[in-house]
Amino acid sequence: MTQAGQDSPVGAPTEPRRRRSRLRLSWPLRALRENPVLRKELRGRMRGRRAFVVLSVYLVLLSCLTTVLYFSYTTIAQQPYGPDTYLVGKIVFGGMVGVQLLMVVFLTPAFTAGAITGERERQTYDLLRTTLLSARSLVTGKLSSALTYMVLLILAAVPLESLAFLLGGVELEEVIISQLFLLVTALSLAAVSMAISSWSKSTLTATVLSYGYALLSTAGLPLLFLMLTPFLGLAGFTLGGAQEPAAWLVVSLVYLGGLVLATNPFSSLILSEVVLIQEQTLLFFELPLSQTSARYPDLWLISPWVIYLLFYLLVAWVAFAMCVRRVRRVER
Amino acid sequence: MNAIIETRALSKRYAAPRRAGQPGGRLAVNELNLAIEPGAVFGFVGPNGAGKTTTMRILTTLLQPTAGEAWVAGHSILRDPRGVRRVVGFMPDFFGVYDDMKVHEYLDFFADCYGIAARQRRSMVEDLLTLVDLSHRADDMVDSLSRGMKQRLCLARTLVHDPTVLILDEPAAGLDPRARIDIRELLRELRTMGKTVLFSSHILLEVADICTHIGVIEAGSLVASGTMDEMQRFLRPIRVIRVRLTKPWNTAQETLFGKPGVSNVRPAVQNGPEPITEFLFDLEGGDEDLCALLTDLVQGGAGVITCSEEKGNLEDVFLQITQGIVS
Repeated sequence: MTQAGQDSPVGAPTEPRRRRSRLRLSWPLRALRENPVLRKELRGRMRGRRAFVVLSVYLVLLSCLTTVLYFSYTTIAQQPYGPDTYLVGKIVFGGMVGVQLLMVVFLTPAFTAGAITGERERQTYDLLRTTLLSARSLVTGKLSSALTYMVLLILAAVPLESLAFLLGGVELEEVIISQLFLLVTALSLAAVSMAISSWSKSTLTATVLSYGYALLSTAGLPLLFLMLTPFLGLAGFTLGGAQEPAAWLVVSLVYLGGLVLATNPFSSLILSEVVLIQEQTLLFFELPLSQTSARYPDLWLISPWVIYLLFYLLVAWVAFAMCVRRVRRVER
Repeated sequence: MNAIIETRALSKRYAAPRRAGQPGGRLAVNELNLAIEPGAVFGFVGPNGAGKTTTMRILTTLLQPTAGEAWVAGHSILRDPRGVRRVVGFMPDFFGVYDDMKVHEYLDFFADCYGIAARQRRSMVEDLLTLVDLSHRADDMVDSLSRGMKQRLCLARTLVHDPTVLILDEPAAGLDPRARIDIRELLRELRTMGKTVLFSSHILLEVADICTHIGVIEAGSLVASGTMDEMQRFLRPIRVIRVRLTKPWNTAQETLFGKPGVSNVRPAVQNGPEPITEFLFDLEGGDEDLCALLTDLVQGGAGVITCSEEKGNLEDVFLQITQGIVS
């Protein structure tokens, strides 16, 4: 018998070639367009009335909320010459972004937690793993299909948000930042849920863990503060008691506190708005600590939304890499 | 021989469950040496838990062996798994369903996963649906198909990239007799198309009709392997010969008495007072010995109409060579 490992392949077909795209798309877009999993998932997701009904119900609810916010504020804020439209615009816009953020937090894990475990439960995972589809393509396809629908939901609400422009009080930068905020939140939640899905045995486990992560990353900070309140009070008393705390301690606490606040979506959004209004700046602002004490330096801080986007893009990238690594791994 | 599938000292030991605390774990495949020639239809037979599925999962790069090496069409499963996937079509012992897909979309999707261009996919899907006789259900949802149809669709899926080797795990399991026949016919068709087929079954009779080769595995080791004829000879050194006569068997009995290699001359059917005109005897010898005996019977005036060799009950053979270690 000859050694098969050293022989030339018997009847091995050559690698099939793809048809060249007529459109000159850049690499990532072309890779997405040619991703079979993305095409399949989108076809399945948009088939039938379900997708249309979900989108319609979502927009109707959002419209109702906008109306309620508008009339509530105009009723409460009675002024001699009518309500301040500047503030009405801000409230309507802020309320809608908040609701969209909640929607992203609640819907994204639902779309992605079962992405890999679902394939295992349907017993299609092995079928996919024996094809020439790479682990990266599989994960990219699943992730992008979930995100595509989320992006549709986010962008579908833009016309509603633009109503705030009619009232005034909302700048274009705020709209762009809020949309980036929502997109990155969706991306990172989807990537983490996918990673959890690839490491979990069942969709139920993956869903519970994904919602656990979503809860921790959104409501975790308020809970943490609630739990730490007694300790913070004690620390404040201690630090402010006998003498002024050391400059390094104050600087560290400011940066640490800033990081914690910037990585929570709700506090980050609110703080970014505050910075935008008070400091009239998008990226950096100065914190004049020297006004408190001559021993403390003035600090330059990055606007919370920048930290938020960078931090969660990094989280998404790590989660994506972990997911690909898990899918690529051959069973032992 | 230029083996298209070859395993060398292939072993797989599953890790012991943590809670059980067993040292070493379960040995599913034990230094398996297998060589399958191109174009063969190889029936991989063994009782449940013998190691058939584990071997197949290793050969399809889904599972990593603990030791040893395997090649498919010259591609190493360890060093070139992508090359292996390119030439192998795998059908597991379950049917993976996407409930939101139509039949033609299902095939189109998997063809897409193999990187086949959309232009080629359309005609290829039509051809495959014709091959498995599902053209009339092309626009139906996959979930609405019967089990037999799903199995045929699954077989079509394994062919989307025109693989050289097909690895089918229990392709006829759980099917009704009609669906079994359909699958068997499809395997015959694939054989005529020149595909090398490795398929498993725990029923020897099921594979006997369509296989060119058989390998019997038990407790992870190959206990017997070869062509159908070789296996028959290997497993049945004593041949059973059936003879039909025009008259009672007394003359034939006298002729065969004391002949070397002949034993256990007996009536084929116990039919009471009726004269015996059909009988069996055991022969330990080759075709030339049988020819000489037949000549003696004819010349002795026994009135021979037919003389044939009993193929024997393959299930008996299976039970004979497998010891029931794992089942």
